[in-house]
Amino acid sequence: MTATTKVLRKPRRTLAEQSYLLEVVKGLGVTLKHFFKGTGQLVSGNKPSPVTDPYADGCATLEYPDEKRPYAQRWRGVHRLTHRDDGSPRCVACLCCSTACPAQCIYIKPAEYPEGDKRRGYERYPEEFVIDELRCIFCGFCVEACPCDAIRMDTGVHMTAFDLRSDFVYDKDQLMSHVGQDGTQKSANTRHEPGDPTHPGITRLHGGH
Amino acid sequence: MPSFKLDDREIPFEKGDTIIKAAWRLGIEIPHYCWHPGLSVAANCRMCLVEIEPPPGGRAMMLDIMKWDADKNDWVPDRKPKLQPACQVQATDNMVVRSTSSKAAVEARAHVQEFLLVNHPVDCPICDQAGECKLQDYWMSEARTTKRMRDEPVHKPKGVVFGDTIVYDAERCITCTRCIRVCDEVIGDHMLDLRERGNKNEVVLAQGRKLEGDYTLMTEHVCPVGALTSSHFRFKARVWTLKETPTVCPGCATGCNLWIDVDTREGRAYRNRPRDNEAVNRFWACDDGMMTYLREHDGRVLKARLGRDGVREDVKRDAALDRAAEVLSKAPKGKVAVLLGAQFSTEDNFVAAALAKALGAGLYLTAKPAWRADKILRNADQNPNRAGALAAANGARVGSLADLLAAAAEGKVQAIVGLGADADVDANALAPLSRIADVVLALSHEGPLARYATVVLPAASWVEAEGSFVNAKGVAQGFKRALSPKGDAAPAWELLAGLGRAMNLDLSYTKLREVRAALLAQVPAAHPDHAPATSAATDAKASAGA
Repeated sequence: MTATTKVLRKPRRTLAEQSYLLEVVKGLGVTLKHFFKGTGQLVSGNKPSPVTDPYADGCATLEYPDEKRPYAQRWRGVHRLTHRDDGSPRCVACLCCSTACPAQCIYIKPAEYPEGDKRRGYERYPEEFVIDELRCIFCGFCVEACPCDAIRMDTGVHMTAFDLRSDFVYDKDQLMSHVGQDGTQKSANTRHEPGDPTHPGITRLHGGH
Repeated sequence: MPSFKLDDREIPFEKGDTIIKAAWRLGIEIPHYCWHPGLSVAANCRMCLVEIEPPPGGRAMMLDIMKWDADKNDWVPDRKPKLQPACQVQATDNMVVRSTSSKAAVEARAHVQEFLLVNHPVDCPICDQAGECKLQDYWMSEARTTKRMRDEPVHKPKGVVFGDTIVYDAERCITCTRCIRVCDEVIGDHMLDLRERGNKNEVVLAQGRKLEGDYTLMTEHVCPVGALTSSHFRFKARVWTLKETPTVCPGCATGCNLWIDVDTREGRAYRNRPRDNEAVNRFWACDDGMMTYLREHDGRVLKARLGRDGVREDVKRDAALDRAAEVLSKAPKGKVAVLLGAQFSTEDNFVAAALAKALGAGLYLTAKPAWRADKILRNADQNPNRAGALAAANGARVGSLADLLAAAAEGKVQAIVGLGADADVDANALAPLSRIADVVLALSHEGPLARYATVVLPAASWVEAEGSFVNAKGVAQGFKRALSPKGDAAPAWELLAGLGRAMNLDLSYTKLREVRAALLAQVPAAHPDHAPATSAATDAKASAGA
């Protein structure tokens, strides 16, 4: 076996390159070009969007937290509890989410609607609904498990840092105050409320409960 | 023993058995809703249809039907075997029954299941039965088809209050009439009946009545679906988070076998369910017995305490044990009384009796007063283990609380140690106890005697410790530990054995196994494994009725 050799020539430098100083100035020129372009974009406000136009020339800096990259629609953020038309939670406290939760971070205390409520006898509701966001692994199983579309993770808000551990434990009021990325607190899915023509009513013989 | 063939299995049966009952005895379940081993046969759900082959030489019962032929694109005449309900047909020798191996039977069951779900609200997420519902189980095992009816289902009354204990939902009801038969056959009071027919059929209360009496929860227990729910368990928990443990009812001397369902994450008991034991309670339990799980949490003693009346002080358990040992060692010989507890397990009482023997002390029994008895299950004796406590004394004389009070009044007793704070005498009659300087009690629950105690040791309840009760008929039945002891509580036998050791007495028991071995050696009849009728045979079947 004969060894084959390939002779590489050492690249020759021109005198101008060899003189070093000129090349430094050239390099600086490139830097300055980007500097002026970027500064100009920042001052004039026509900076290309890092989201829609991420490969455009010019300033690529995101001024976080003044500027934020919007999350994808199906990105799983902090939970929210959706509302019914009357502002009460859609949740019926079936405990499917807390059953599905692999981190066991959801605590629900179910209760019966009080005497006189039109939903008494049909449904239950969460007297307490607590999510420990520190334990949550944001897997979205709770959203998948929910048969009532009552819990969603479409707020587009990621968990921020708090000083206290207890601040990460969200109660029902807090979860119900969150707004979805579409700006509403409801869900698009309709539901038949007691009293609606489409909902079964206690019409015959028995009332009482 | 005669036998018949079910699919490919040979099933022995007793004369008079129906097919489903003979199979049930072997733990083979033929799908059913309306049949219950403890109730009469209604044969109305049509879920248990099976094909029975004609006797040799006989003619098969066949039906003329029209069958869809895809090749001809038309209906063609065909024949199929006439099916019979396994719950109603009596087994005969050498009968050949085909259940899962019969295409016609499998199809029929799928169609029955589909019919039952036509008007069902499918509100499983808010239904308490979800997870133990026969509609769910049989949909998974027999049907697995989506609903074909596109119309609005028939709506019926929901959330109907049947009484203090039961709420009824007619939409979930499959009108199997099990609840009605429980009222008629177990309770003997026709409180429930059906009204209307077909898809308007529903269970109603007898006019002017409400569901009342001592066995109302049995209607809920037999309901195979979520139509009847009990108000105490309604909306409280999901059954799949609960863990069942075999236990024995601490409510009375009948000793009904129960399951206790607990949530181990919260350390909380959520409900009792009857456990089948044909020798003791058959399939039933009374309402008071069903509610005994609440005793796990109500009126518990969870901390050791010293002092009487106003000067009570919570202390560590070991400190209380040391104090108890100190005062009992100083007590004059022969003037110590040891209390056995009819509410405590045989093992607890056995160690208490051993302590009495070592101390040379007299034995007395604390027990709850008698209560309302009936001819179904309830025994007049409210104590689950009076027989076990007396047996544990192993021949020694056991006085009543009245005897103890008399002895205390005469000054014959100067120190008391023992189990339980229950009194079967009037609370005012307990006054002589305040003269006794040292009263050491191991308590799981507060009671009339607790205020006279100078040292209280926190004992585990029957839910928190393994043990056994001997019922009024002398049947010893073991129960298992469902939860860890709460607070500082420990099994009472452990406390008393520890007390004995602290007093340098010969009480070496440190494990339940050792106590049981000694019990078996000395009082074999009170040992749970030695009893003639235990529930072991039915333990495997979790809850055939529910």
